[in-house]
Amino acid sequence: MDKITVQGQTPPSNSNPAARAFRNPYIRYILFGVVIALLPLLAKSGVMPSSFLVNLGGVLIYSIVALGLNLLLGYSGLISLGTAGFMGLGAYISGYLSGTVGLPFLLTVLIAIAAAAVIGVLVGFVSLRVAGIYLAIATLCVSEILRKTFEELDQFTGGFSGLTAGYPTLFGFKLSREATFVLLTAALVLVMMLTHNLVNGQMGRALHAMRGSEVAAQAMGVYLLKYRLIVFAIASAYAALGGALYMHFIKFSYPAVWILTLSLNILAVVVIGGLRSIYGTVIGALIVFAVPDLLLKRIPVIGGIDGIAYIFTGVLIILVVMFYPSGVVGIGHDIKRLISRGRKGGAGNG
Amino acid sequence: MSTFLQVFLRSLETGGVYALAALGIIIIFRTSNITHFAQGSMGMFNTFVVATLVANAKLPLWLATLCGLCTAIVLGCLVDFVIIRRAKKVSPVAKQIITLGLIMVFVGLAPMIFGVDPLKLPRFIESGDLDIFGAHLTYNGLFNMVLGVALMLILFYVLQKTKMGIAIRTTASNEPVARLMGVPTRNVTLFAWALAACLGCLSGVMIAPTTSVTPNVMDPVQVNALIACVLGGFQTFYGPVLGAYIIAVGTNLLSFYVDSTWGGQLMYLLVLVFIVFRPQGLVGKKFIKKV
Repeated sequence: MDKITVQGQTPPSNSNPAARAFRNPYIRYILFGVVIALLPLLAKSGVMPSSFLVNLGGVLIYSIVALGLNLLLGYSGLISLGTAGFMGLGAYISGYLSGTVGLPFLLTVLIAIAAAAVIGVLVGFVSLRVAGIYLAIATLCVSEILRKTFEELDQFTGGFSGLTAGYPTLFGFKLSREATFVLLTAALVLVMMLTHNLVNGQMGRALHAMRGSEVAAQAMGVYLLKYRLIVFAIASAYAALGGALYMHFIKFSYPAVWILTLSLNILAVVVIGGLRSIYGTVIGALIVFAVPDLLLKRIPVIGGIDGIAYIFTGVLIILVVMFYPSGVVGIGHDIKRLISRGRKGGAGNG
Repeated sequence: MSTFLQVFLRSLETGGVYALAALGIIIIFRTSNITHFAQGSMGMFNTFVVATLVANAKLPLWLATLCGLCTAIVLGCLVDFVIIRRAKKVSPVAKQIITLGLIMVFVGLAPMIFGVDPLKLPRFIESGDLDIFGAHLTYNGLFNMVLGVALMLILFYVLQKTKMGIAIRTTASNEPVARLMGVPTRNVTLFAWALAACLGCLSGVMIAPTTSVTPNVMDPVQVNALIACVLGGFQTFYGPVLGAYIIAVGTNLLSFYVDSTWGGQLMYLLVLVFIVFRPQGLVGKKFIKKV
């Protein structure tokens, strides 16, 4: 966890070439990925219980999904509560096609992403007509329709009893749990880079303008329809990618997973981590999905109580929203500023 | 004809449950400007109180329900007092997230206090069938329907005719101006949260006998109540009630006459199409955004 925050900050020196390379955001994303990909080694050597890997893999998956929601909520100001439905869609399509039909893993992921993107585009059309909380509940409607479809189409999804899948097979190799974890890391790094490019390019500026004022954005020549459709398609595609990876890492999926609570959790990831922050989203996912299971359950007396994890996350969400509305990603920066201000004050007095 | 009537009466019963929950959501939305995602969870928690009192303390159901309403009032006031009142400056989206935090707190507290075993809740009236033109309706169903409608009528009377109702409507239409006019808006929101918690508790007690009391007993009620609010529009108090009945009747009729497995999805799809063509809801007024 320390490593993540350290890499999220700007390094002090810029003269030597290593430090200059370190300032390159892409190299930082790759370094971040390498550090995470080394975690299975820790588990193998016994420093970290290997059951942690499942939780941390989940964090990587939810980070991918939450990055998509961050594009919607953070950059474009559009609320969506349909994340769980799209994630489930990706999971079931990929799981069914690779299991029953026997297509290669990567192809099933691509099909899942394409299918979700198409539905995402349709939601994008809806988003032109309705805004705010109406849009949130319209997307909730879509998610509920998808979830009920998962329940009813039991020849594809296994109905209430669920669908199982194995670890993915890549280019003829059957991956182990550790190798799948590395695959998840690679996917997350790719998604982070893609998101970085999207939001720092022309599209990012268009989205910022759209969030500020739709009318002003239109007056500046931003074609609302195009960007709404693109951003909804991308968010749905990320969710489907996350779902497909979930299916092949957790290896089990049933309709009761893809409910409103999951969408709300992912919303919490974005808000706790920090709107419009890529690393913040990952930190948020870590706090919401891993801290309760990994830390709290290990504290002797409190850890034994049922439901303590939920209460912890709930209280944390409320506290962050009320007292730290820009998300926990800003904490490091703020502490730094406090320290430097303290130093300056000291120098002025002396 | 008798089957149609039967389906229709059943849906009126579930519609009443959705309508009570939706009324709670809309009252919170209008007075505190928060979409209350935790309406179902708070209802679930208080339903657990009722079920535990019935199962362990052997209280009669009506007395247990009264106790449940009391805890609902306490909890509602507590939530407003401790959290919502202090979050005035938080952005609108972040406010919704607060209620999401509340869901987690209540879902976590319930097994901690009441244990992990699902509880059974009896009906208000255990047995007896009514025969209306060949359609069967249990006395309990009739009681739920009448109770729901009576509560809503009382509530609308309070909203329209009493001083408190005027205060609520003023706060709903413009909170800062209401405060300037001397309306005690703090008490109004306090009352609104207590009322919403009570409505949630009642809808929980009504829906619980059909399943068992578990931490997610209220999930479908929550989702349908939210969709009912959108269908009816967030601008009036009676719109969501109308929306709730339409959703319940529509879902049941579509499941019965069109397709038993796809009825629910079809209804949601229709609602979606409706929102696209009429974004402000059934009885809402359209707001024109000024630049």
